[in-house]
Amino acid sequence: MVAVILTVVFVVVTLDARDRVRAAETDKLRVSENVFSALETKRQQDQVAAMTTLAENPTLKAALDTYFTERRFSGSSDEQLRATVMGETVKLAVQTPADVLAVVETNGRIFTSAGPAAGRWPAGAKVDIPGGTQSAFQSVAVLPGGAFRVTGARLTFGDRPIGALVAGTSLDGNYAQELSNLSTAGVVITVNDSIVARTVREEVARDLVASRASAGTITLNNEEYAVRPMLLSGPARIFMLTSVDAAARAATRDAVFALATIAFGGVLLAALGSFWLARLVSEPVNRLSGAIATMTAAREFDRTLEPSRTSRELDSLTTAFNDLMRGLAAAEAETRSAYVGAIRALAAALDARDPYTAGHSERVSTLSVMIGRIMNLPAAEIEVLRLGALLHDIGKIGVSDQILRKNGSLTAEEFEQIKRHPGLGARILRQVPFLAPHLPIVELHHERPDGRGYPFGLRTEAIPLAARIVHVADAFDAMTSARAYRGALPASEAFAELERFSGTQFDSACVEALLTAMPSSQDIEEPALAQLLGRQLV
Amino acid sequence: MSIGARNSVLLAAAVLGLMATSGTHPIAQERSSVRGRVSIGIPVSARRATSTYSRNVPTVALASESELRHVVVYLKDAPRTPSPTMRAEIRQRNENFVPRVVAVTVGSTVDFPNDDPIYHNVFSLSRTKTFDLGRFPKGKSRGERFDKPGVVKVFCQIHSHMSATVMVFDHPWFIVPDEGGTFELPNVPTGMHQLTAWHERLGDTTMAVRVEPGRTETIDFVLPVPAQP
Repeated sequence: MVAVILTVVFVVVTLDARDRVRAAETDKLRVSENVFSALETKRQQDQVAAMTTLAENPTLKAALDTYFTERRFSGSSDEQLRATVMGETVKLAVQTPADVLAVVETNGRIFTSAGPAAGRWPAGAKVDIPGGTQSAFQSVAVLPGGAFRVTGARLTFGDRPIGALVAGTSLDGNYAQELSNLSTAGVVITVNDSIVARTVREEVARDLVASRASAGTITLNNEEYAVRPMLLSGPARIFMLTSVDAAARAATRDAVFALATIAFGGVLLAALGSFWLARLVSEPVNRLSGAIATMTAAREFDRTLEPSRTSRELDSLTTAFNDLMRGLAAAEAETRSAYVGAIRALAAALDARDPYTAGHSERVSTLSVMIGRIMNLPAAEIEVLRLGALLHDIGKIGVSDQILRKNGSLTAEEFEQIKRHPGLGARILRQVPFLAPHLPIVELHHERPDGRGYPFGLRTEAIPLAARIVHVADAFDAMTSARAYRGALPASEAFAELERFSGTQFDSACVEALLTAMPSSQDIEEPALAQLLGRQLV
Repeated sequence: MSIGARNSVLLAAAVLGLMATSGTHPIAQERSSVRGRVSIGIPVSARRATSTYSRNVPTVALASESELRHVVVYLKDAPRTPSPTMRAEIRQRNENFVPRVVAVTVGSTVDFPNDDPIYHNVFSLSRTKTFDLGRFPKGKSRGERFDKPGVVKVFCQIHSHMSATVMVFDHPWFIVPDEGGTFELPNVPTGMHQLTAWHERLGDTTMAVRVEPGRTETIDFVLPVPAQP
């Protein structure tokens, strides 16, 4: 659309500029033609003055007048007088740049001639000389040998005419070329509407003759020409013509080039501006949608989006989105805590099935979190640890009370049943999507670093850290709790046990962390631990 | 007018001279003469027959009557007759030769006094008499004797517009008409004659005339001398 508008504007402006340039060029031609015309007029005046001066040659006049007076009087003529006139004429001819200088009798016949073109002005031939009484005249004479532009001065004695001295310039190619050089325009010379000389192409000259026009702007050979007549005398015409198109072409080209540059620059600027504006709008949108996509992928619903501060609409959208996400997060947290509450109740209920294991899950959870903190786990993993530890024995729901509460040692079959509880717990947790991170704890909290654990017999590296932590915490709590078949071990003994099997049954790093977590763990009587454990029991 | 008066005196002297010598001439004893008038106008022969439509006849601008002073009337075919010499003058005044036309007998002298405060020159290229009097200042006069009959054109080398004509005759039957154009040639031999009126611009206009013994023939010339600006 913008391109179309620009194109239309460009075309219109180009045409307009072309017209203006043409008008200016035509004016320029007119002015230069006027200048040339004035110069040419001056030149002709000078020629007239020169001829008038030459016509005052007393010897020539005396000889001529005497010659004719004697011929009239006695009927015979003195050839010496004719020779005198001819000699004077030759001398004068040298002084004039004309092609021919001739003495013409009062009856219009050539008496004698001199100069390069004298051969075309034979004595006795008739030359048309304008009548009238001015001492000098200018016209065009057509002789069999060609057309001549003539400037003449009458030879008189006072009021008595005896003839005329005429300078003729041949209207030929040389003259046309000379005029053309002086005027810097094309020249066409016609006599009786036939072209005798031209400095322009033949078709142009032919069209000019055919048009019969003499001035103005004329289309010749499909080009526009400014035509001006320089001489319209009798049958002869001299036209000066200049191609307006040729003159305007260069100027038009310059103007069009300038316009094209401007137009191109305009398009470029518009494109850059549009691009920049588009980026200004699209970039924050892209950033926002990218951020949302990232959040969705990572399920980071608690993160808030930063307002872009570039567009109010976008910022209000961001704020609305943030509000929405906050609401969503709150709802999820609520759901989560409801789940956790339910699971915790379930775990407590499971623990309560056996009086000896009451509060076990809570305590394991507390111990696991302590170990995790010592091991510098990230907060998110600590949280996973806390809930995972709480749930680690959920699979015992499928183990009968008989086996769980059995006082004596378990048969192999009964033990197999016990060994099923991690897999069972995992099966239960798989139903709840948001408990997926806690699955490994529940499923693998009885694996041992030496690969002799259950249910899969994984080795150290294959067991997730959280599962290893919970394993240590579980063992410690089990040892420090009373059982139907034994009393509770003091913490120091439990530690000793742990240390003894560190690296085989228990992950050594986790054991170390537990020892660090309870600096005075060498003594079970340590009030801090008792307090901690006691609280957990409540 | 003083020029005209001087010419009249000269002519009168010439005529008296002729009359004085006529007694010795056998033909002149018949005492026949030719008189007439020269005027400037359109000759009858050239006029249109349809005079009622005269308004359609193009009017030719004719020269003024003063042009009559540039006319010489003479017998064209007169036999060579010795005549007394004369003394005529052509003055150079206001860059003009005055008078422009003089007629003299063979052997006469024409003086060229310079009345202008500038130099003038007098020269001629004519076969009848080629001469150059050189340049001379005001108050000086140089003369030239003409020993051959014919027409002599006189010019000034300095002022190329100046010209005059001296007509030299070897007989006495010639005259420059007076201001009114009238002329009279006395003692003309009897018989058929060609009478010519020469005008410096027009050339010769010749008419035949039969001169009877003891009679005076009248013949008029109408010369279509065109006007000049």
